[in-house]
Amino acid sequence: MTGTALPSTALSVWVNDRLHEMEVPAHWTLLQLLTDALGLGGTKDGCGQGVCGACTALVDGQPVRACLFLAVRARDRRVTTVEGLRANGTLHRLQQAFVDEGAVQCGFCTPGMLLAGAALLAETPHPTEEDVREALVGNLCRCTGYARIVRAVLAAAGPAGVGAP
Amino acid sequence: MTLPAFEYREPETLEEAVGLLRDGGDEARVIGGGTALVVMLRARLLRPRLLVGLGRIPGLGDVRGNGDLRVAALATHREIERSPEVRRHAPLLAEACRRVGSPTIRNMGTLGGNLAYGEAASDPAPALLALGARVTVVGPAGARTLPLDGFFRDFYETALGPAEILTAVHVPPAPAAARSTFVKYTCLSEEERALVSVAAVVVPGPDGTWSEIRIGLGGVAPTPVRAHGAEAILGGERPTDGRLREAAARAAADVSPLGDRQGSAEYRRAMTEVWVRRALETLRAE
Repeated sequence: MTGTALPSTALSVWVNDRLHEMEVPAHWTLLQLLTDALGLGGTKDGCGQGVCGACTALVDGQPVRACLFLAVRARDRRVTTVEGLRANGTLHRLQQAFVDEGAVQCGFCTPGMLLAGAALLAETPHPTEEDVREALVGNLCRCTGYARIVRAVLAAAGPAGVGAP
Repeated sequence: MTLPAFEYREPETLEEAVGLLRDGGDEARVIGGGTALVVMLRARLLRPRLLVGLGRIPGLGDVRGNGDLRVAALATHREIERSPEVRRHAPLLAEACRRVGSPTIRNMGTLGGNLAYGEAASDPAPALLALGARVTVVGPAGARTLPLDGFFRDFYETALGPAEILTAVHVPPAPAAARSTFVKYTCLSEEERALVSVAAVVVPGPDGTWSEIRIGLGGVAPTPVRAHGAEAILGGERPTDGRLREAAARAAADVSPLGDRQGSAEYRRAMTEVWVRRALETLRAE
């Protein structure tokens, strides 16, 4: 190795409602920041090409591919990972619905599914099945055939016209 | 796999961004949403020394709908698909942006990045060709605005010169009677690139003839293209079955598809004929 210094940038970023001030190499992805620097292993490194959705995280509430998102672009923004879905020791209602519906097999795609699903429910509290399928179109699951995952998101939403739990 | 090291700058003005690109030469690149560039970096297809992010430059994400629709370069596909201005002024563009990748990719990818990348199977590009769009680019010699028809030069090559940045897309107002449609055909999964996409705009007259026809095609040539030959067959004519078939056959004859894992060149040509005909039939049925 030569002694070339890697250009890096000072960054402040909110992750799961905690402010982190850190020095981040410019070529790091958000995925590296979350897993390597912060030790948050829920965000998975799948295809590395933005295809599989296993690295889905929320930035300001919107789902992004953490493997394609430069960490420096998360400056002063609010990032949510699967570790941040649980509140006060209680599973997010979507996590509970995944448990209840048996929507998890190997679990590798599950964090991405949960975040894409949670982002949908935040914007569309009572989605149709088509809404759910569209929201999850970029999240691949090789185990379940998707039926239980879609059912879990619909179950977490509850019937239209009924307030969210 | 990690990315090769680079420096990252976020200038606060366009002039500063152009200066960084000019000084960086071939080793400097603009990054928009990163959905294309980061994949190329990871594959080591590019090894830039400097990436220039545009996110701090004021106004580069705006969508404005007075007269011309003006969509600034950093507007994401998701923002465009949902924008009331776009849906009112150019629903064809909203529909095409809704077919890009998956919602998560659409949250990241920008319209300017999509066009500057020069992807042949772009979804917005054929729609914007059919809408008669123009693009503004800013570079060392100042700003210039040019028609999108002609912007795409060759396989992943555009009219962007050294240190030029695509800053905005302009869509002229459509006549009240204009009809438009967008179809995207892929034989892989929903979020894949188009095997062929067809965007078409026509203005039916009171006598039933069509005018101001523009057809944009994606995925069937080294760049997004207009189907000028098919447009000429339809112009000033009634859209009879025979006319539509003739125009579709002409569109297929004029394209120069490349084969890939989705389909051979021959298959893409055959599908061009099918989907152009169906798009035109949809416009006739409206």
